[in-house]
Amino acid sequence: MSLKRVGLEYIENIAYVGFGLNNPKSMTTLDFDFMQDFTAILDELYAKQRELKGVIFFSHIENCFIAGADISLIASLTTEAEAADKSETGQTIFNRVEDLTIPTVACVDGICLGGGLEFALSCKVIIASNSTKTQLGLPEVKLGIIPGFGGTYRLPRKIGLPNALDMILTGKTLRADKAKRLGLVAEVYPKENLIAMAPKFFERRETHHSLKESMKELATENFVTRKIIFQKVRESVLKKTNGFYQAPLRILDVMDSGMMKGRTSYLAAEAQAFGELAISEQSKNLQHIYFMSEAAKKYKGPKGTQALPELNRGAALGAGTMGGGIAWLMADAGMHPIMKDLSFDALNLGLKQSSQNFAGALKRKKISTDEFERKQRSITAQLDYSGFQKVDLVIEAVVENMDIKKKVFSEVERQVHPECLLTSNTSSLSVEEMSKALERPGRFAGLHFFNPVHLMPLVEIIEHSKVDPETVEALYKWVLRVKKTPVVVKDGPGFLVNRILMPYLNEAGYLLEEGVSVKDLDQAALNFGMPMGPLRLLDEVGIDVAIKVAKVMYEGLGERAHPSKFSSKLAEKNFLGKKNSKGFYLYDEKGKVAGANPEVDELLPKERKKMSETDLQLRLFLPMINEAAAILKDGIVQTAADVDLGLIFGIGFPPFRGGLLRYADSEGLDKILAALKNFSETVDAERYRPSDYLVQLVESKTSFYEKAR
Amino acid sequence: MSMRDVYIVDGKRTPQAKAGTDLKDVAAPYLGAYLVKHLIDNTEIPADKVDEVIFGNTGTPAKYPNIARVIALEAGLDKKTSGYSVHRNCASGMEAVSQAYLKIASGRCDVVVAGGVESMSQMPLIYNKEMTELFAKLMKAKSMGEKLAALSSFRPNYLTPIVAIEQGLTDPFCGLNMGQTAELLARELKITREMQDTYANNSHLKAIAATKEGRFKDEILPITIGGGLNKLLVDDSGPRGNSTIEGLAKMKPYFDKKSGTVTVGNSCPITDGGSALLFVSEEAVRKYNLKPMAKLTDYHFHGLEPERMGMGPLLAMDGVMRRANLSLSDFDLFELNEAFAAQILAVSIGLKDQEVAARFGLDKAWGELDWSRVNVNGGGIALGHPVGSTGSRLIVTLIHELKRRKGKYGLASLCIGGGQGGAVVVENLVR
Repeated sequence: MSLKRVGLEYIENIAYVGFGLNNPKSMTTLDFDFMQDFTAILDELYAKQRELKGVIFFSHIENCFIAGADISLIASLTTEAEAADKSETGQTIFNRVEDLTIPTVACVDGICLGGGLEFALSCKVIIASNSTKTQLGLPEVKLGIIPGFGGTYRLPRKIGLPNALDMILTGKTLRADKAKRLGLVAEVYPKENLIAMAPKFFERRETHHSLKESMKELATENFVTRKIIFQKVRESVLKKTNGFYQAPLRILDVMDSGMMKGRTSYLAAEAQAFGELAISEQSKNLQHIYFMSEAAKKYKGPKGTQALPELNRGAALGAGTMGGGIAWLMADAGMHPIMKDLSFDALNLGLKQSSQNFAGALKRKKISTDEFERKQRSITAQLDYSGFQKVDLVIEAVVENMDIKKKVFSEVERQVHPECLLTSNTSSLSVEEMSKALERPGRFAGLHFFNPVHLMPLVEIIEHSKVDPETVEALYKWVLRVKKTPVVVKDGPGFLVNRILMPYLNEAGYLLEEGVSVKDLDQAALNFGMPMGPLRLLDEVGIDVAIKVAKVMYEGLGERAHPSKFSSKLAEKNFLGKKNSKGFYLYDEKGKVAGANPEVDELLPKERKKMSETDLQLRLFLPMINEAAAILKDGIVQTAADVDLGLIFGIGFPPFRGGLLRYADSEGLDKILAALKNFSETVDAERYRPSDYLVQLVESKTSFYEKAR
Repeated sequence: MSMRDVYIVDGKRTPQAKAGTDLKDVAAPYLGAYLVKHLIDNTEIPADKVDEVIFGNTGTPAKYPNIARVIALEAGLDKKTSGYSVHRNCASGMEAVSQAYLKIASGRCDVVVAGGVESMSQMPLIYNKEMTELFAKLMKAKSMGEKLAALSSFRPNYLTPIVAIEQGLTDPFCGLNMGQTAELLARELKITREMQDTYANNSHLKAIAATKEGRFKDEILPITIGGGLNKLLVDDSGPRGNSTIEGLAKMKPYFDKKSGTVTVGNSCPITDGGSALLFVSEEAVRKYNLKPMAKLTDYHFHGLEPERMGMGPLLAMDGVMRRANLSLSDFDLFELNEAFAAQILAVSIGLKDQEVAARFGLDKAWGELDWSRVNVNGGGIALGHPVGSTGSRLIVTLIHELKRRKGKYGLASLCIGGGQGGAVVVENLVR
């Protein structure tokens, strides 16, 4: 037997099966080589069953037990039958593991996800290391698929239906201690002792349940309550996903209807569902996002010759919502940030913002109260520049005013060491212009976060003509380090995301002027899958801010960005949005929507216009696609994937659509162009004038993704 | 052994707040860590080049047996930074400073941070002996029967707690509470209630004026407070702008309720706070381009009978002036802790009165204190007395005020529970 990936050793009649043998990659995935080795090993184990005391499965690789199936294998599937067949192959192998009559123990250290956990579940006992890297979960749903190797069959039997549904439908991962509490792993040990402790579990009989557990089982393991559980869970899934996502519903079907089935027929249903989902457009879109995000983890831009500056200590200039959020991010990343503003009142607001961001993590027990105290206190809130000489990364988030920003930068440049990177969180001002205020523009770039900082994953890194490649690369790596998604963009009005957002918000204003209601408009966007309608989003951004940004866009982009006058009407009435609790909607003290603002109705034309949802969606999204084409032509970003990643992680463009341009490609660019032309004749010639880039794509019969790779 | 010069680069303190108020949620290490971070960040000294972090603390929270080391780590200093804590009651912060002095003067260290922290709010209630024994029995009990037997020995009075702070403020040797030692001095030296109240009132008025005029701005570093750690405390909260002698006169004596003169109003309040100073050698000054504010000239500690601990500064000042070869008139400024108005007034009597000085073993009286140079920004009665911190807090205030006045020598001194006094002489370098 020649083994490439999985090792097999016998010591004192115990079989030790080690994954990740000779693996050049740092992660073990269930690829072809693995499966081949593993099948051979199983044959041998079956042959030797009589003489063996047990089998111990472990990994040679630190921090990775099995990472799951190879996603590019899933991506390569094209037919339902092929996909179902793959699923069945895996199921058969894992069934054989389950059917071994000798004890089997999986020793999980590091990540154990998807197919990896499905394998572990087919062992009689799972034990895990207490390393923080140890994570167990079935994240398949995030890729729009169902765990296809028996996971939905075995997990409920191991940890009970409610917990299993929670894990499978959310795709969340558990640390070892939590996994033990749920009964997924039998015991937790330091990773150095894990394998040595495994034989202890050979003797182990079924643990007798405590009274509490038995009661719980009685409550959940009967037909009626299970039906009720499924009913409730289905309702909550529909509520959370608005019904946009197929996978969780399909998973529920399989698990619900499989309740009374035996293993064979249950697994057949699971494999069939896997087949359907794996090749569905939605899953392909989600896989696409996965691959884009993975690709974004590598810096691909030009490299400099100097060593990259180390970014250990940070400072946020300005303690508003953004400044406070940035200070929070830096504190969380252990950068002991300084947060500077002009008054103690302002500083208090920033501290409050950071505290709020930590509060969520505290509530979800992601951090302990001690960690919260340490991290929050690591923010030094101050009025002067003391301590700036130790700072390696300054992020400016003061008022959006070019003169003030320039003044601040030339001031701060004198306070920091020459290697320190200076960045601006401007959302609309020219980074090129700002760089002129500096003696060392090479160390300066735009670094645009999205609001709220702790929730929005995207960060735009904005270049200008004099920026050093080391600066861009160092910022790129830093953004990854603080667990955000970077996208490098060229300077230009609104950079990437806000520039594409502009027509979304602007067209909403024009549609209101035409007599469409606030409700119809936002609902149309929500039904497309957007996290917020354009008007709700305007409230969030702040009407006054939006007006300012719209002006900048207009100045930079010309007539196609001519701002609708509707926002100004709100601003005149001092309806500024969420910040003063009154905008298109009303807000309560907690900032929750408390209904529509009735006074906005009076600003709408007397004559109301009813448009179909599809038409409203076309009116909102076509100009976005058109602007994205212009962005690619202008070279603001290089690829369609950059645009899509930016919009998904920057404004929450619906992931199941795979991105704006992927959506456009799937709809057909000729259709998009025709619709644009139509609107340019019936609505507005400038705002809907098809971009040259789009016209060329259609003429050359190509797509965004084929062209701008 | 030839001694090296010891420089003070800078010193900072927290705003001080009466225990149980603004700083009540701040655990003791956090009263110091941010000060240390600030002091180091404001220099070119790298985070791994601090030789020693020394902090005074008296309440020693159970969670932080060696609070200085915790402060060093929370301040973001390198993990290899050495740190230890010292305890000399009310002078713990000053003891830390004296340690810094010795380590640098002797050539063992070049960069030392020293200071003091005290969270009197968080001093615990302690189970009494009986309850502690019951817990011990319970832990040892193996069977349910043994456990029940242990539990059945419980009596309600086992729950009467020991108040750590109250016990800490009572002298274990002579049995007197600190306030009672002040009463003793007041009686023996005929310090009247009116003298005490007038003194206390002035302390408040001076502190209020100093706060209003921003004279504490350079020494106080605002601290993050609140349950959500979401706001800054900027100023001391102790000084009362509406303090009057008449108001103070209405208060009842606290420690000798029948015939005493010491009230809560003419004593220092129980307070939370921290302070820290950065000490360096001349080599470090050159290496890191530092601009020191002052030089630490010398220090002295001295013991006396515990029941007259309030006179400690008399002996400590006597000692340090002899060491430094200076006399009262050489000092532009004094920071003398006001544990009790009666106590600081007693010290001033000891300084000028030959007979009293002799009673405490001095060869001579040093002369009249120039009150216009004493606690010019108010003292412990208004600002409070966070026990472990005051010893270093006095020095922080002293160097900043000396700098402002372009004075030369300054002296900080305080009395120490248990019967000691401590004093430090600094020389201002920014003139």
